[in-house]
Amino acid sequence: MFDFCLHVLTLACLYGLMALALNLQAGYAGLLNFGHIAFVGVGAYAVGIGRLAGWPLPLSMLAGVACAMLLGVAVARLGRNLASDYWGIATLAVAEIVRIVVLNQSGMAGGAQGISALPGPLDALPETAQPLAFAVLGLFAVALAAWLSARLAASRFGRALRLLREQPALASCLGYDLGRLKRSATLASAAVAALAGSLLAGYTHFVSPDYLLAAQTFLVWSMLMIGGAGRVAGVLLGTVLVQGVYSFVPLARDLLGLGSETVGALRLGLIGAILLLCLLWRSAGLLPERLRTLP
Amino acid sequence: MRIRFGITLAIALAMANTAHAVTLGAVLPLSGSSASIGEDQRRGIDMAVADINAKGGLLGAPLAVKIEDSADGATGALDAATKLHSIDKVPVVLGEYSSSVSIPLGQYLVKQGMVHLNIGSSSPAIRQIGASSFSLIGLDDLSAQFAAKDILGLGYRKVAFIAPNGAYGQGIDGQFKKYLQAGGGSVVAEVLYTPGQSSYRRELQQMQRSQPDVYVYSAYGQEAAVINRESFELGISKTPWYGIYLSMCTADTPAQIANGQIGMEVASLGSAGQAFAAEYQKRYGFAMKSSYSSYAYDGVMLAAAAIAQAKSADPAKVIAALDQLGASFAGATGKLALDADRQRTEQPYDKLAYEGGSLHAR
Amino acid sequence: MLQFLFDTLSRSSDLALIALGLSLVYGLAKFPNIAHVQYAMLGAFASVVLQRAGTPLALALGMASLLAGSLAVLCNLWVFSRLRRQGPAIAMIGSLALAMILVAAALAGHGASPLAYRLPLSAPWVLGPLFVAPNQALAMGVTLAVLLACTWLLLGTRQGRAMRALACNPPLAAAAGLDAERIIHAVHFLGAALAGLGGALLALNTGAYVNLGNDLLLPIFAAAILGGLGNPLGAVFGGLLIALAETLVTNLNIGWLYGQPMAFVPAGYIGAASFVILLLALLLRPYGLFDREVRRV
Repeated sequence: MFDFCLHVLTLACLYGLMALALNLQAGYAGLLNFGHIAFVGVGAYAVGIGRLAGWPLPLSMLAGVACAMLLGVAVARLGRNLASDYWGIATLAVAEIVRIVVLNQSGMAGGAQGISALPGPLDALPETAQPLAFAVLGLFAVALAAWLSARLAASRFGRALRLLREQPALASCLGYDLGRLKRSATLASAAVAALAGSLLAGYTHFVSPDYLLAAQTFLVWSMLMIGGAGRVAGVLLGTVLVQGVYSFVPLARDLLGLGSETVGALRLGLIGAILLLCLLWRSAGLLPERLRTLP
Repeated sequence: MRIRFGITLAIALAMANTAHAVTLGAVLPLSGSSASIGEDQRRGIDMAVADINAKGGLLGAPLAVKIEDSADGATGALDAATKLHSIDKVPVVLGEYSSSVSIPLGQYLVKQGMVHLNIGSSSPAIRQIGASSFSLIGLDDLSAQFAAKDILGLGYRKVAFIAPNGAYGQGIDGQFKKYLQAGGGSVVAEVLYTPGQSSYRRELQQMQRSQPDVYVYSAYGQEAAVINRESFELGISKTPWYGIYLSMCTADTPAQIANGQIGMEVASLGSAGQAFAAEYQKRYGFAMKSSYSSYAYDGVMLAAAAIAQAKSADPAKVIAALDQLGASFAGATGKLALDADRQRTEQPYDKLAYEGGSLHAR
Repeated sequence: MLQFLFDTLSRSSDLALIALGLSLVYGLAKFPNIAHVQYAMLGAFASVVLQRAGTPLALALGMASLLAGSLAVLCNLWVFSRLRRQGPAIAMIGSLALAMILVAAALAGHGASPLAYRLPLSAPWVLGPLFVAPNQALAMGVTLAVLLACTWLLLGTRQGRAMRALACNPPLAAAAGLDAERIIHAVHFLGAALAGLGGALLALNTGAYVNLGNDLLLPIFAAAILGGLGNPLGAVFGGLLIALAETLVTNLNIGWLYGQPMAFVPAGYIGAASFVILLLALLLRPYGLFDREVRRV
């Protein structure tokens, strides 16, 4: 049981990083990025391609962050003259194109089968200590990201992002360069998401095109929206809740003692029902953002 | 009321833990795009459990297999495997279908010192998973070599090949091309289609333009049904069609279209294989959808035999027993003959033809 | 050439009704409804099950469409009317959860194997170089008729004018005395009924299967966006353009590049073709191809 909880905690931390990264764009700046998983995938594939090329892990991870930021520049540039929902679909298209390219690159990226036996950041430790150590590493990373995120939200830059979300015309009048603001938010988000991707690849010792499925983006989005977009504590709570639901629903099924025919349907249906009930119960998120209002 | 419910729950839990001496685990794609294969694997497992328990169970108590959903992805499979390892404490895990899921699943199990029985992935990369991973299914080099030889033997030289663009399709494509070219044939058209499309007319016509002697395909469920229907509608089905694993290619196709197709399939001619096929038909009311059910069946049977021989469900002892048994074990899919890498070296295949609404040996 | 045109039309007719429904609902509800494609999946199942039970095909198609529409009205009543107030992202996640529940229901109700209509297999019609399956011709004919009816409904009737007015300017429409709630319900019904019918027609070729909706999700959204969200008829042309791009990629012989008689772009890239077209179109026309809304800076 302990190992299982450690596993859930580690995954929650890694997805928490992704959700915090998405929060920089979607929560603060109100940018509808439906291709967020592309940044994560670039980070994960950097570790994989780095292994095939024989690079040391830190170098692969750095390369992944750099590539994700390059992709971020391209995606943000695409958004210069698109309305928000059109940009959302454009990012989704970019992510799908990235996925289809790696799916068809059997030489360089392992094709559909992915790349296995990847190095992890904690391989030097003894086997039995690794789950605990990885959970601690994940907690440390997510705490750091949360602290930075909260600092950012309180800073002038964070206020500018929220102004961009609520009143873009006013932000423009006040002399903010909207394009630059969007680009900075996307870049920061890309870097954190790529790091999360590298860690995920290191944790699972594996990467495949499945890591880039659009469904993964929607998963991170549901963590953000259920917890409360725009507030660090809300995002983290949402992550823990959604990851918990995904991981613990099979246990609930064991308690009910149902036959094997229902495994797939029950898992999917319970997850959907719990998420929907959460949304209907607190539709502004469990911990909604507190906006300062002037009298 | 609530207290009584709690007590009932506690009793149910206690019973669940004591009623079975041995519990095995399985991770299958029960939701997502490979769910129809996962469902067939589940059928095989359920049949094996029923068979073993009808003969008195294992180590004096009924056997159970805990089946988990991988949701068709690596993280889902790892969630399930961690649960099976840490909560259910099973010694042996069977799974999965796609090699992009079986490989990370196997890596994890090997690391935990558990037994991994590969019952569905045929990519050659499976060989490298590690010391406690066993393959019951012949890897792509075996099936592709057999199919290529068979096709060349039938006198075909120009081949059009179509398979899904996934780990399985990409793997079998590479192997098949290698063996066909080595034998003097050539792949004149090669299509790895995107699964889940509403139509494959354009892909089929692209292949038609190279005027092949024979179309070779390997597909399952709704995709195979659409490909067969559209090849009929486009008049392409007049050229011979060869199915790799023919029974899964034609399982959901109307007989009128499938008639005349040839292909190969995992042999079920032995007595164990025939008994399995008959039992499947009786239990579910339709003929075997694919051979993945028989591999899953053999997986449970092999694990049970190893545990019975070791007289223990301790993974280390089970591995030792499997190493001994692997060379001689024979199941519904024939003799395993595992090599030093614990991979199947012998896989009897049948040459089949679809005539008059069902499959026959040719 | 004829076959090329036919394949393009056939693929776009697969997408047309469902994309039209999505775009219609988007115009009013202003959020991307992920559950929309699941209405198509359920419509396919309903129609196939009814037909196999002995209902005539035409009646089965109609009933499936009505069922999908009614389901959407219930979903709107219970879920979306509450979530929409919190913004499009919340409503989208709600539709995602709803989609999971609908897929789970189909998986529990039927299982993972496909289910086909019980129809006699008829030989294709051969018109010169063109092969046409009767089923396919039926699906395309029904699609065309329904598209024409929808065009008339939207452009030529009072109800259609009310829908468009509400989509363009809700406060003004309310001020003019339109009952917004009632129209929103009507549009949800219509959108999902179109999706249900589209799915049921699609099942003539593919059969009904659990993943039908998920497989449609990205192409349908690409088509709707390409045409300009909220411009229902634009979505149909968006679908046409995507079908054209895909068909072109699979038919284009690029052998001359490699000095071979025949070589093609690998079929695995066919899905990328629609997204590349989408990106190009958005770069040139940021609000979709058929957007005529007046915007002020």
